[in-house]
Amino acid sequence: MTLSRPLVSWLYVSPLMLVLIPFFVLPILVVLVASVFETDGFGSLIPTFTLANYANVLTSGLTFNLYFETVKFTVLTWFFTLILGFFVAYFLVFHVRNQLLAIGLFLICTVPFWTSNIIRMISWIPLLGKEGLINSALLHLGFIHEPLGFLLYSSFAVVVAYVHQLTIFMVVPIFNSMARIDKRVVEAAFDVGASRFDIMRLIIVPLSKSGIALGSIFVVSIVMGDFFVTKVMSGGGSASVVGAFYEDISVLQYPSAAASAVVLTLVLMATISLILRTVDIRKEITR
Amino acid sequence: MSAAPQMLASARARAKRRAIAPSRGGRPWTFYVLAALFTFYVVALYGPMICIYILSFQDVRGGLVFPMKGLSLHWFVDLFTQVRTGDVKGAFDRSIKLAILVTAITVVVSFMAAMAFRRRFPGDNIVFAMMIGSLVAPGLVLGIGVGLLFNAIGIDTSWYGSALGAQLSWTLPFGVLVMFAVMSRFDPAWEEAARDLGATAWQRIRLVIIPVLAPGLVAVALFGFTLSYDEFARTLQTAGPQNTLPLEIWSMTLNVTSPSLYALGTVTTIISFVIIGAALGTIVLIQKRRGARARAH
Amino acid sequence: MAVQRGDIELAGLTKSYDGINTVVRGINLKIPDGAYCCFLGPSGCGKTTILRMIAGHEDPTDGEILIGGEDVVGLPPVERGTAMMFQSYALFPHLSVRDNIAFALRVRGLSKADRYRQTDAMIEKVRLTELADRLPAQLSGGQQQRVALARAAITEPRVLLLDEPLSALDEQLRVEMRLELQRMQRELGITFVHVTHSQLEAIALADLVVVMEKGEIKQAGPAREVYASPKDRYVAEFLGGQNVLSGKVETIEGGRLLFAPPDRKSISVPLRANARVGVGDRIDVAVRRDDVALLRADAIISAQEQSALPCRVLAIEYQGSFVKVMLDAVADEDFVAYVPERTFFSDPFAIGDIALAAWAIDHARLLT
Repeated sequence: MTLSRPLVSWLYVSPLMLVLIPFFVLPILVVLVASVFETDGFGSLIPTFTLANYANVLTSGLTFNLYFETVKFTVLTWFFTLILGFFVAYFLVFHVRNQLLAIGLFLICTVPFWTSNIIRMISWIPLLGKEGLINSALLHLGFIHEPLGFLLYSSFAVVVAYVHQLTIFMVVPIFNSMARIDKRVVEAAFDVGASRFDIMRLIIVPLSKSGIALGSIFVVSIVMGDFFVTKVMSGGGSASVVGAFYEDISVLQYPSAAASAVVLTLVLMATISLILRTVDIRKEITR
Repeated sequence: MSAAPQMLASARARAKRRAIAPSRGGRPWTFYVLAALFTFYVVALYGPMICIYILSFQDVRGGLVFPMKGLSLHWFVDLFTQVRTGDVKGAFDRSIKLAILVTAITVVVSFMAAMAFRRRFPGDNIVFAMMIGSLVAPGLVLGIGVGLLFNAIGIDTSWYGSALGAQLSWTLPFGVLVMFAVMSRFDPAWEEAARDLGATAWQRIRLVIIPVLAPGLVAVALFGFTLSYDEFARTLQTAGPQNTLPLEIWSMTLNVTSPSLYALGTVTTIISFVIIGAALGTIVLIQKRRGARARAH
Repeated sequence: MAVQRGDIELAGLTKSYDGINTVVRGINLKIPDGAYCCFLGPSGCGKTTILRMIAGHEDPTDGEILIGGEDVVGLPPVERGTAMMFQSYALFPHLSVRDNIAFALRVRGLSKADRYRQTDAMIEKVRLTELADRLPAQLSGGQQQRVALARAAITEPRVLLLDEPLSALDEQLRVEMRLELQRMQRELGITFVHVTHSQLEAIALADLVVVMEKGEIKQAGPAREVYASPKDRYVAEFLGGQNVLSGKVETIEGGRLLFAPPDRKSISVPLRANARVGVGDRIDVAVRRDDVALLRADAIISAQEQSALPCRVLAIEYQGSFVKVMLDAVADEDFVAYVPERTFFSDPFAIGDIALAAWAIDHARLLT
């Protein structure tokens, strides 16, 4: 008995659906539903239909500040991870001649990700603090006379922690895209006299677009969905949207938290659809 | 009219100057700049962690920052014996068991899903969108959703139940994406040739597809393990009363002010390295054995 | 195992995609048992699709495929008694030569000892014994092809299907492997169906050449018949070696007709008994390129036995045993003379020279 091809495909993909439906689709729906409920303030949900939660979220000045902070960090992180990630990938693909060495160096970049990301985040504290290594070194060398306060528990520290954690998410897809570029195309450009910057601008960047897009999706979604890096590294000075969501949950304000979560998810989905417009990800991945 | 040939000539001269001369074995100046950037990146990547590892050997009298007042294993002992630092051993135990479970399920399910996606099928765009959605959705939101869902149904959250599912919603999209990349290098002619020679569907999978894809499957396993072992946001609300390791670390970060936290970092890193090193070693061994079998004769 | 007949019959074989794109249009063909059959045509003409339908890797939209008298449509490849050699060879990259060849036996459940015994015998036949433990990546193109051939042949098929087996090889290797294929076919004694776009390959190897265009068979027959007696302009031009002239019929008289290509004087062509042409019809006439003699402009022609066209030499290509001379004898058409090498160099022409292209009247052929 031969099954029809679509049926076979659905059988193959059924385990995936068995996970995605109860652990992605349904939870999102639950949050959606919770956002239109009310709460009695003690953790119970009263099933009604009210848009009051959304009204609160969308009109609150706090919301605007939170989004401003979160978007600020997202843009800064995206920018620095892109620059760093792009040039690291470029170096590995185009300047390292021995392929084995390139793969080895690539692995060296990924090794730190075998360790806990929380540990990696707090590992900046002994470095950046007022009594930390960097301040001590700068004092010792005489470049400064007082420890720099902005290094830790500040926006600077937040961005440093994010970039530290997320550059790899840029390096991997961009490396993948660049490695696919036919080197003979670059050679042909050499042949007609293009300068190094011309080649970068006119050939390499356009052909790495899908890697850049994929990396951007990862970085943007992780930063916008994060709650602890901002809180810890800013010393409580800054907050993030999901951080506020977490606090709401802690005081059992489920409906308003849910409303804010839905708004964030919509914003995130909109951003990602925008990025996906620039390149057909599915074709790139499955090529 | 007479200006045109001059412009052409100067344009040609400009192009000549900017053109890249064939390197005589030497490196262009951009190489040194980029190499320096790369080195800076690696140092910045490893530097902080190495500080932590060093600081975990901090003497009893030392604090959370440099300078080192001496070397000792005090904090490692402290980590495992002091009750106030939580149930570290238990958390380790649970994290590893959970990670192994997640790894096994991720490999099998990702492989199957990638097999499904080899051809278009009705609804494949929806499934793909769901995968990407699960990947980019804020982990905490999903975690809360799962928690609420389980509460509503009346099942308790647990590290081997709800947390398992929540982690899978994160590792499976990654696994499937990696499988996509691996499958794209799989020549469909191999499968057709196997069919031509009389292999049944199961034989084709067992004798041709899986062996050829084996290094890719190990890569998916690696991803699955790493992502699960470190997973925090989704697990936070779904693990139930018993913590996994990242949750334990998180509570230590908030409560503990001694280098035993650093000691934990060192220990968990060593364990990660051992497991992942073993996995990579397996890939290398598979490749070597294939080559050696051929060269030995 | 009883010897089964390997003759193939295609009846009304059709393949279309989504009802719009018809790549194979109602093919009817009989291939005798033990014949070497070549499907010849440009990319997209449907030849590979037909091969894959015979193999069972694709299902026909309509029509029958009979192998040894039984309709095999709907049967999986393994039950048809066919084996296919893929264009890229598709050797399993993770298995050694021996394991590649033994694969068919392994999936049938033979023990390791049994299947290695049969495999080693086959490896001897294709002369790869020293390479039996190598991986495909460590073999040359010609060696890989022999492994692919052995892997298909070990299943003792009654029909072997080859999808452009020589395309991936360089020139010298291609010539060598052609002989290898011929040898294997004679030794195995089974039907070979070979798809190619190279006319040289087809006429060198095949007992039966099937020329295809856009999903239809234009002409099928022995190599000599297709090359020297093409039925129509398409076959004549695809096989090469022919000059095709078209023009209007002026007169028909006593077994010959006179036709005139545009702006040229009339040419006499022998009339076949069963040809149905009338005065004023547009016809195509073929003259073999090696039948065209290149004479100096002032040469004497016997009008009763020879046709001649004045022309100028456009290009000259040295081809070793003959020289290819391109002439502008007919407006808007290529006209080429293959001049034997010694003849050419006894009185060489140069580009731009005026000449006379002449051939025996009886050497012109009326095409349908």
